[in-house]
Amino acid sequence: MQTEIKFNPDFAMVRVQFDAPGEQLVTESGAMVARDTAVQMTTNMRGGLGSALKRKLLGGESLFQNTFTATAPGQTVFVAPAPEGAIEFVDLQPGQELFLQSGAYLCSTPGIQLDTKFQGGKGFFSGEGLFLLRVHGQGRVWFSTYGAIHTVNIGQQYQGYICDTGHMVAFTQGLSYSVNKVGGLKSLFLSGEGLVCTFQGQGRLWMQTRNPGALASFVHPFRRVKVQTN
Amino acid sequence: MQVNILYRSSQTIAQCWLQPGESMLAESGAMMGMSTNVQIQTQSGGMMSGLKRLFGGESFFRNTFTAHGGNGEVLLTTPLCGDMVVLECGRSQWLLQNSAYVGSSYGVDVKTQGSAKGLFSGAGLFTLATQGQGQCIAGSFGAIEPLPINGDLIIDTGHLVAWEAHLQYRVTKATNGWIDSFLSGEGLVCHFTGQGMVYIQSRSTSEYGSTVGALLPPREN
Amino acid sequence: MPHHIIKHQPVFGLLEVQLAPGEVIVAEAGAMVARAPHVEMDVRLNAPTNAGFFGKLKAFVIALIRKVVAGETFFVNHFSSPHGGWVWLAPALSGAIRHIVLQGQTMLFSAGAFLASTGNVAMRPRFGGCRSLLAKEGAFFLETSGSGEIWITSYGAVEEVYCNGSYVIDTGHIVGFDASLNYTIKAPGGGLVGMLGSGEGLVCEFQGQGRILVQSRNLGALVNWLIPMLPG
Repeated sequence: MQTEIKFNPDFAMVRVQFDAPGEQLVTESGAMVARDTAVQMTTNMRGGLGSALKRKLLGGESLFQNTFTATAPGQTVFVAPAPEGAIEFVDLQPGQELFLQSGAYLCSTPGIQLDTKFQGGKGFFSGEGLFLLRVHGQGRVWFSTYGAIHTVNIGQQYQGYICDTGHMVAFTQGLSYSVNKVGGLKSLFLSGEGLVCTFQGQGRLWMQTRNPGALASFVHPFRRVKVQTN
Repeated sequence: MQVNILYRSSQTIAQCWLQPGESMLAESGAMMGMSTNVQIQTQSGGMMSGLKRLFGGESFFRNTFTAHGGNGEVLLTTPLCGDMVVLECGRSQWLLQNSAYVGSSYGVDVKTQGSAKGLFSGAGLFTLATQGQGQCIAGSFGAIEPLPINGDLIIDTGHLVAWEAHLQYRVTKATNGWIDSFLSGEGLVCHFTGQGMVYIQSRSTSEYGSTVGALLPPREN
Repeated sequence: MPHHIIKHQPVFGLLEVQLAPGEVIVAEAGAMVARAPHVEMDVRLNAPTNAGFFGKLKAFVIALIRKVVAGETFFVNHFSSPHGGWVWLAPALSGAIRHIVLQGQTMLFSAGAFLASTGNVAMRPRFGGCRSLLAKEGAFFLETSGSGEIWITSYGAVEEVYCNGSYVIDTGHIVGFDASLNYTIKAPGGGLVGMLGSGEGLVCEFQGQGRILVQSRNLGALVNWLIPMLPG
């Protein structure tokens, strides 16, 4: 299948064109923009109920994923995430891993697995319903960001890098990381208390240039106030 | 301090490079990331100054970032998608819309200018004024468009980012009569005269907030 | 036809229009960013210029329906000046502005897509069918015809898809399409599990041949994305 990321970095969208019937694309629920009518869409709880529930409760991902299957060559599907921003893809081989902020997963080829059950993912994001996903398998995974993608190569350009966790999207294996609260980084954002992550070692860190908690904080005062009834 | 503005014009960040021992100030919450040799210190400049900042829509806290033992890098961002511009302070000084302040070099002081010239309906009534020498980074919602004034011009106040302090301005309603103002959807406008530079943003935060806010579930308080 | 430039595409499209003396541009309320001081702004009902009393009343009722259901505002602003002048217009959300010249053909646009128009352009709401009421965005389409220029906005970037047979688009992503296409609004498919679980909203199935303008972001999806992050 042929894939293309259009409209980076502002309103990125993935265009997939299937080459043969039976080819599949797995997506986050709600991400489909458009498709040829003849492309089949099935909704499943990938990896079985247990893993899907884990993802729902811990990962912030919805319970379901959609699988699009081509029925003829040349059919197309367009996929886009909810917030404004960019999309990036990473190709994984068996034995390689990528750590991904759970809300950032967009779509993947069928050989990619998402795992929420691993140590070290705890305490990363404070109460945003976000968790760290461990992505592995063979194939390609696309992730989306709120804002543009800024990449930092740690070990080469920088010895270490500190990143506000609301801006953290993904990082490769080979990096050691620790999360702490930085005193005085008291922000008025919902995501709270200035949680930052310090990365060291050798690897790549992807950051997003906008913070979802900040947007939620911004629109909150514009909401209508609930009328009290008693 | 060297500032590179990246990813214009909507997902913009300011990549600030500090020499060893050099400091800069930034809106608390504006930091996206930084190299490990930069240290942060909170600075509120005293209770009164902090309170005034709070009324102006800026957060109470402003942080100082200092590079130690080598060059340091700090990445700054804004809460909404938008653009940034670096304002050179020294020969000119600038007035900014209260939420447009992102950061500044150590030699620039940014103070609230509480004034009767209430400019922004619904966005707070304060503007910020720069003093000193150095750079001030202003952020926007929407793309930043420079609009040189040579004579006079009318601009919707929700779209103002920053303007040169020597320009004369007058705030009026957009149309004659209050009903028309309400129906037309236009709020207050600012009538500038003189010669100088105004930076506008191509979107208005109150328009965007109302559009999205109206679709969200109501809040408790 | 006024001279215009669209800047800062595709994210924060800004429309700058230079009006000739006496030329009028009609714009969505709240869209003005800046204007030359001698350009006058008049608030009017969105009705054809030569409508009589009943024409205006009908326009009023349609405007009311459009306001409540379709999100279009009640009123539009007419900008003009006897000397000519310039006006800058922008929509509320981030996204692109697209310029379309109508020369007698008909196109349908989703609610909220209208930014401005000049010339002799007529607009009528077209009901999307009962199921479409379930989708906040999809209930009404604006049918535009006539001759003139129209500027529409999109949330996101715009992709032009050519339908040759049958194509399905999530209703929140539709900007506009040629009137030559037939359309039906339906549930996303995938059976009951699909309806509840797929997360997809309503979709619009197009049949026939024609252009469809698709936007790469969806306001409904943004709202769903924001809700879990909001405080009580």
